[in-house]
Amino acid sequence: MMGAVLLLFLLQVTPELKQHVEAGLKAKNAGDLDTAIREFQRVVEIAPEMPAAQVNLGAVYLAKKSYREAIPPLRRALELNPDLPGAHGMLGTALLALGYASESVSHLEKAGADDLLGVALLETGRTREAVDKLEAALEKRPDDPDLLYYLTQAQGRLSKQVFDRLRQRHPDAARTRQLLGDAHAATGNREAAEKDFRAALEMRPDLRGVHFALGELFLGSGDYQGAEREFREETKLAPGSAAAACKLGAMLLNLGRIPDALAELRRANALEPDMPETLLELGKATAAAGDLVPAEKLLRRVIEQEPASALGESAHYQLAQIYRALKRPAEADREMKMLQEMRKGRK
Amino acid sequence: MRGTLAQALLRAVPRLRLVPAPGRAERRREGRRGTLRACATFSGVAILAFATQSLELFRPTGIDFIHRHSPTAQKYLIETMGGGVALLDYNQDGRLDVFLVNGGKLGDPVKLPVHYERRDPAFWNRLYRQNPDGTFTDVTAAAGLADAGNNYGMGVAAGDYDNDGFPDLYVTNYGRNALYRNNGNGKFTDVTAAAGVAAGGWSASAGFFDYDRDGRLDLFVTRYLDWDIGRNIFCGTPFHSYCRPDKFGGVTSVLFHNVGGGRFRDVSAASGIAALKGKALGVAFEDYDGDGFADIFVANDGMEQFLFHNKTDGTFEERALEAGVAFSDDGKPFAGMGVAFADYDNDGRPDIAVTNLALEKYALYRNEGGGQFRYASLTSGLAALTARSSGWGVGLYDFDNDGWKDLFVAQSHVLDNVEKIHSGLRYLEPPALFRNAAGRFEKADLPRLPSVAGRGAAFGDLNNDGYMDVVVSVLGGPPLVFLNHGGKNHWLTLQLDRLGARVKVGNQWACATTSGSYLSAGDPRVHFGLGSVQRATVEILWPGGKEQVLENVPVDRIVTVKEPP
Repeated sequence: MMGAVLLLFLLQVTPELKQHVEAGLKAKNAGDLDTAIREFQRVVEIAPEMPAAQVNLGAVYLAKKSYREAIPPLRRALELNPDLPGAHGMLGTALLALGYASESVSHLEKAGADDLLGVALLETGRTREAVDKLEAALEKRPDDPDLLYYLTQAQGRLSKQVFDRLRQRHPDAARTRQLLGDAHAATGNREAAEKDFRAALEMRPDLRGVHFALGELFLGSGDYQGAEREFREETKLAPGSAAAACKLGAMLLNLGRIPDALAELRRANALEPDMPETLLELGKATAAAGDLVPAEKLLRRVIEQEPASALGESAHYQLAQIYRALKRPAEADREMKMLQEMRKGRK
Repeated sequence: MRGTLAQALLRAVPRLRLVPAPGRAERRREGRRGTLRACATFSGVAILAFATQSLELFRPTGIDFIHRHSPTAQKYLIETMGGGVALLDYNQDGRLDVFLVNGGKLGDPVKLPVHYERRDPAFWNRLYRQNPDGTFTDVTAAAGLADAGNNYGMGVAAGDYDNDGFPDLYVTNYGRNALYRNNGNGKFTDVTAAAGVAAGGWSASAGFFDYDRDGRLDLFVTRYLDWDIGRNIFCGTPFHSYCRPDKFGGVTSVLFHNVGGGRFRDVSAASGIAALKGKALGVAFEDYDGDGFADIFVANDGMEQFLFHNKTDGTFEERALEAGVAFSDDGKPFAGMGVAFADYDNDGRPDIAVTNLALEKYALYRNEGGGQFRYASLTSGLAALTARSSGWGVGLYDFDNDGWKDLFVAQSHVLDNVEKIHSGLRYLEPPALFRNAAGRFEKADLPRLPSVAGRGAAFGDLNNDGYMDVVVSVLGGPPLVFLNHGGKNHWLTLQLDRLGARVKVGNQWACATTSGSYLSAGDPRVHFGLGSVQRATVEILWPGGKEQVLENVPVDRIVTVKEPP
C-alpha cells in the first residue's frame, strides 16, 4: 500500500520534493529515523495537501514508536483522503498504543487488521468479538505469542462473564458450587474446593465431573484412597468416560492393585484408543504385572505420539527399566541417553 | 554368595561358640512373660499405652535431652536438617546407651564469625548411660563428650574403629566433624586431628564399614550442599521458606580408609567416590550383588540417588542408573533423605528403601538379582501409604517377630510452613510403622501418637527382650522413645564381633551394621523374628569370607558369636 502511495506521489513531485522523499526513504531503510523524519517533515512543508506526504511522516513516527507524534499527520492524511486503509491501520495502531482503544476500533476495522482489532475490542469490553478476531488472526499466525496471550485473556474474561452471570442468577445452584470448587482448586485452596464440590454433590448427586475434580484434589495431596473413591464414583456416573477410567486405573496402580488397574486402563484404552496418558499408565501396569514385552509396545506408542513431552520422558525411563530386566543393556542405555537429552533440552 | 554358603552347609562346619551374654537370660525370661512385664523392667513413664499395639511411646527416666536447632526468621537451611541419635553399648555392660546430637545457637541473623555456643550445656550433645533398672544417667561430661567444638551438630556414626572392643563415636556437623575414641573406661577422647577425619563443609549421615575387608572399619561421610551460612539466600514467595536444594551446588562425599594405628587416609578421589558431586543426606552399606564386598547407597536430595558398587580393588563405580535405583518410577529425581538397605522380601538379596518428601512416595527398590533392582513402591503397597508423608530416619526391622521385616519411619515435612504453601500437607507428622505382610506393607495402627518434626531414628533392643525398639530424634524437641511390647513370637539376636557379617536364619537374611537411617546409628546386633520357630539354624558369612553354621540354636536369647580364627 505504501508503495502505491509513494508511486502516485512521485509522479506529481518536483525535483526538490523528489530529492527529500528519496533521502527520507533511504534514511528510513538505513534505520536513521531522525533523519527520515526531518526529510519527510520538509516534504510536508513543501506539499501539505498531499496525503502521501502526511502518511510517510506518520509511518516514520510509528516506526520510531513516537505514537503521539504519528497521530496528527495520519489524521491529516485521512482528512485529505479517507480511503487510505494503510493510514487507517497506522492511526489505529498509534491510538491503541496510547490506550485510545475505542477510537482505534473504527480505523483498525477499515484496515482489516484482525490482530490489533482483537486487542482493541478486548480492551473496550467487546470480548466475544475480540475472541472472533483473535482466532481469525491466529489462523494466519498460529504460534504468535502475543496473539495467544490476548486470546487467553479474552477467553478467560468471557468465561468469567458467564461465571458471574451464573453466580448472580443462581448463587446457590449446584453448578455454581462446582465452578467455585474449580476456582478454589486452581488457586490451591483445597479445603474450600472440597467444601464447594461436596455442596454441589449434595444438591445434584448425579453431576458429572465433580467426583473427577474431587479425585484430582485428593490425588494432588497424596490421598490415594480418597482419589480412588472419587474416580470410582465418576466412572459409575460416566461409564463411557475414558478420562475417568484412566485416572481410576492409575490410582489402582499406585495402590498396588495391579490386576484391577489393568482392567480399568484397558477399558479406558478401549473407550478412547491410544490416548498417550492411558498408554503410559497401561504400559507401567503391564510391566508391573511382569509382561515386559507387551509393556514395551505400549510405551513405544507413547513415544511415537509424545516424543518431546514429560509423558515421553517417563516412557523412555520405563523402557530403560524393561530393557534392563530383559537383559538388553545397550537398549536400556539408549533409552536413558534419550531421556537425559530430552531433559537437557528442556532446561 | 548364597551358593557358596549352601555348599558350605553340606560339609563339616566348625562348631561355634555360643556365649550367652551375662545377665541376659534373666532379662529374656522377663521379656517372655509378656507385654506388660517387658515394660515393667524398663523404668520410666509410659505416656501412651495401647493394649493392641506393640510399640509404646515411653519417656525413660533420666533422658532429659531437648534438641535445640535455634529456628530464625532467616531460615538458615541447617535449622531444619538435624539431628541424629545413636544406640550403642559404650561401656559394654550389655545394655544399649543413647547418644543424641544437638544443633547449636544461631543469631537472627547470625553475626560472622558464627559462635554456636556449644559450650553452653543447653547445646551439648548428650550421652545417656542405661542403668540396670532401665533408667538412664546423663554421663556426657564424665565421658568427655561435653565439648562439641564450634560447630552446628548434625548426625552420628558408631563403630569400633580401633578394634579394642568398645564402640567409638563419629559426630558430623556443619563445620568440623569429630571422632571420639572410646577409651574403654567410660571416657572418650577427641582424636579427630590425629585420625585425620575432620572433613569439613556440611556433613550429614556417616557410617562405619569395612569396604576392603582388612578387618578395620573404614568411614564414609555424606556431605549435603555447597552452602554457607554467611551467604544465606531468601527463598519462597509469598511465604519465606527454607530453600530447595536446587538453589545450591552439590558436593562430594568422603571416604576415609582406616590404615590402622588410629589413623585414616582420605581415599575419596582414589576410590572414585569423589568423582561425583551429590546432595547426600543418607547412607547405608550392604553387598547388593553378592560378591562379598560391601557396596554403598547414598540418598541424595533432589537429584538422582547413588549406588557405589564396590569393585573389590579399593575403588567404586557409581551404578544407580544401571541398577534401576536412581529415580522414581517415572524416572524423576526425588528428595532422598534416609535409607534402609535390607532384605524385606526374604529372598536373600538386600533391597533398598529411601524416604523422601510428601507427594513423592517413599521409594522401595526390590533387588531382583544380577545387579538389578525394580521399583516396588507400587506393588508393595508402600506408595499409597506414604504419598502424603515426608520421611527421614528409616529402618527395616521385624518389629512383631513374625519373620518379615517391617518399615519404621520418622516423619515430618522439611518446611515448617508447608501448610501455607500446600494446604493438603502437614509439617508435623507422627512416626509411622508399616507392617510387612509377606512382602506387602500395611500401616500399623498406632493411634494418638504425637505429631512431631521427626528426623533421625535409631533402632535396637533397648531392654533386651528380643523385640526391636526405636529412638526418634525430634527437631527442636525431646526424643521419642518407643518400647516394643512384643508378643508371643520367638526371636534370636546375634552379637557378632565384626560389622559387615551377613547372617541367615531360615529364609531371612540380615547384616550386622550400625549404619543406615538418617543421621543415626543403631544396635550392631543382628535381630531375627522367628514366629513359631523354636530352634534355628544360623549361617554366618563373615566379611573376610569365612562361613560358619550354628545348628539347632535355641531361640529367645541373645547369642554372642566370635569369628573363628
